[in-house]
Amino acid sequence: MMQWKKTMWAAGAVLAMTGAAWAQDKPFAGVELKMLGIGDTSVTRVAPIVGEFEQATGIKVHIDQLPYPGLIDKIIVEASSDSPTYQLLWVDSPWVGMLGEAGALEDLTSRAKRDAAEIGLDDIIPIQLQENTWQGKLLAFPASGMVWSTNYRKDLFENPEEAAAFKAKYGYDLAPAKTWAQYRDIAEFFTRKKGEKLAGEVLDKDFYGTAQAYSRVQGAITHDYFPIMRAFGGDYWDPKTGLCAMTGEPHIKAAEFMKSLIPFNPPDYLGLMWDLRTGYMERGEDAISSYWSVRTVRLTNPAEAKVAEKGLVVGYAPSPTVDGNPQPTYTGALSFAINSKATDKEKEAAWVFIKWATSEKLMRRFAEEGQGVSQFRKSILSDPALQAKYPYYKVLLESQKNARRRIFHPFYQAVEENFGVELSKYMAGETATAKEALETACNAVNSQLSIFPVEQRLRWINDVPAEVLAK
Amino acid sequence: MSHTANRDRRIAAVFLIPAIVVLFATTIYPMLYALWLSFRNYDLAKPFIPRIFVGLANYAEVLTSKAFFHALITTFKLMAMTLSAQLVLGVGIALLVSQKLPGMALARTLLLIPMMISPVIVGLVWLFLYFPELGYLNYFLGLVGIGPVPWISSTQWALTAIAIGDIWQWTPFIMMGTAAALQSLSPEPYEAARIDGNSRWDVFRYVTLPQLKPVLVSLLFLRAIDAFKIYDIIFVLTKGGPADATEVISLYIYRQSFTFWRMGVGAAASFVSLIIISVLITLFFKQMQRGQAARAR
Repeated sequence: MMQWKKTMWAAGAVLAMTGAAWAQDKPFAGVELKMLGIGDTSVTRVAPIVGEFEQATGIKVHIDQLPYPGLIDKIIVEASSDSPTYQLLWVDSPWVGMLGEAGALEDLTSRAKRDAAEIGLDDIIPIQLQENTWQGKLLAFPASGMVWSTNYRKDLFENPEEAAAFKAKYGYDLAPAKTWAQYRDIAEFFTRKKGEKLAGEVLDKDFYGTAQAYSRVQGAITHDYFPIMRAFGGDYWDPKTGLCAMTGEPHIKAAEFMKSLIPFNPPDYLGLMWDLRTGYMERGEDAISSYWSVRTVRLTNPAEAKVAEKGLVVGYAPSPTVDGNPQPTYTGALSFAINSKATDKEKEAAWVFIKWATSEKLMRRFAEEGQGVSQFRKSILSDPALQAKYPYYKVLLESQKNARRRIFHPFYQAVEENFGVELSKYMAGETATAKEALETACNAVNSQLSIFPVEQRLRWINDVPAEVLAK
Repeated sequence: MSHTANRDRRIAAVFLIPAIVVLFATTIYPMLYALWLSFRNYDLAKPFIPRIFVGLANYAEVLTSKAFFHALITTFKLMAMTLSAQLVLGVGIALLVSQKLPGMALARTLLLIPMMISPVIVGLVWLFLYFPELGYLNYFLGLVGIGPVPWISSTQWALTAIAIGDIWQWTPFIMMGTAAALQSLSPEPYEAARIDGNSRWDVFRYVTLPQLKPVLVSLLFLRAIDAFKIYDIIFVLTKGGPADATEVISLYIYRQSFTFWRMGVGAAASFVSLIIISVLITLFFKQMQRGQAARAR
């Protein structure tokens, strides 16, 4: 009997010690997290393997993937709740200012500094971290780094007949557009009707010079308009008043330029959002198209882009400018953030997840497995083997050396929505002039902003992106 | 009043309490809360904005907003398109399926299916049909050399495309109500008309239609209320676009409340539209009643 008791005590002690070790090894075991995410590459790559994370940490993560339109609405409703359902939030970088000013996102600064070596903070392209700061705080962590870049049908550009015909018509060599004027020429040149020839083949359907987003939905058109506007020298805000200033000559010229591209677009241009417009390049149905690199990554994946399956070649280049001289690249980041209303334990568990999901190890694995991710780590983007596999890596790496982040403002959604509707109306011909459209949109934004003191408005527009946190 | 009667009243009151509580919680309280919101500056996304009382400012903003009146006009245009088509088609199909022909019972059942589908699903079905490059409609039109038609991405077509989807879904409602009314019509006037040698059109115009009128008015009334609130199918198909071609009142209210997060303005717009539709429907019914009274004299 005594022997049996001793055995039981010993077994109990072993179990307790194992349990303690396990608890130390997996301090957040049993924590369940929910993520409000998107069905895009920044999430779709990681979502199928969250089971591995649970195995390693004991933290169960459930990701809900929603379409981009309407996602911010759900995040705001979630953020305004005192008992949130979602502890992890997927955020598009311009939302950081909006959600940050509302206090909806947990400050990650101290955690990032504490774990700088573990997460390889110095390995992250600085602008990608800056895309996630608001008023000096790091409020989200990049899961995909974005630049606005150009994708073009390299096989068509290298076709001798097409190249010669282009030179004969425009007087210069056919090459990736360095200026927006060249971009327009290329779009015009390659716009062909069914029955015409393209690279020696008779077309069985129309071929489009370009496919731009002209849809008002979730301000899709503004994503195309803003890089062009910046290239034309336009800015968002009046530095003296902090009010909307997008009514000047550069802004008007940019809108008029965008309208001049309409004849070279598919007939459904007014309904084109990000996924629909990139679909044309993915199917090999347009010649040149500038868009966010998170969609570019699909072009090398045959499961996502017919163009890769068909053996057509896509080339990659930085976004055009007005005079051809380099200018700050238009950037963005798709990031993971923590709901500020989650419990302390959930927040720490969520940070463990973010570190894992954005780690160099996982990002490299995605790259090696052939799944495109718009990478944000220097070590991956500069890897020669990966650069050979993903030709757009060079563009991503080079173009971010001189970059300026997107519009950051608590009223970003008001800007996106008002300009989305008014620019779309102008493109549809419902508003006579670009000036009228821009003034209507600006007035609507300013009617909301003007109730705030100038100092507050200036604080918002002068938000300085935080420097690399590892320093 | 006897003691028993008083006790019965008290018991009845006790039994009514759950219903009153549910009614208050689900209808009266939200409505009062919306009314309270409509007088306040309430931005859900920006808690740093003081949520203060602003009097009638939100109402003034709505009533001076071009976008609101554009949405109102678009709503009425859509109502005119859908209600007229649903009425004509619904009555026509009801007359057809009321014939004593083989297969009509099955046809009646099948025709009711669209009405039973959730509007979001209806939106998705039509989205696949309208899809510019890959949609079935453009595929079939392409076979006869037409198109592709930018159904939901052209300011000329989008409202019509929405109307087609709504007509497809709700014509069976008019059909069902009309078919039921046709079953209950008295046979005597028809016999008299036949003896008098009237044509089928005359019988329909002077015998059937007058008898159906009260039912048709009720059906239209119900459809009009529903059509004024149309939201789901537009949200799925166009989200108010392209440009502002399909932005109806519900979308305007949604945008104010859940895109700009100006809950006060959204609530004010809801009450303004409620008043407008109530006044119009009241006027419409008064006109109908006057017409009926005149005919009775």
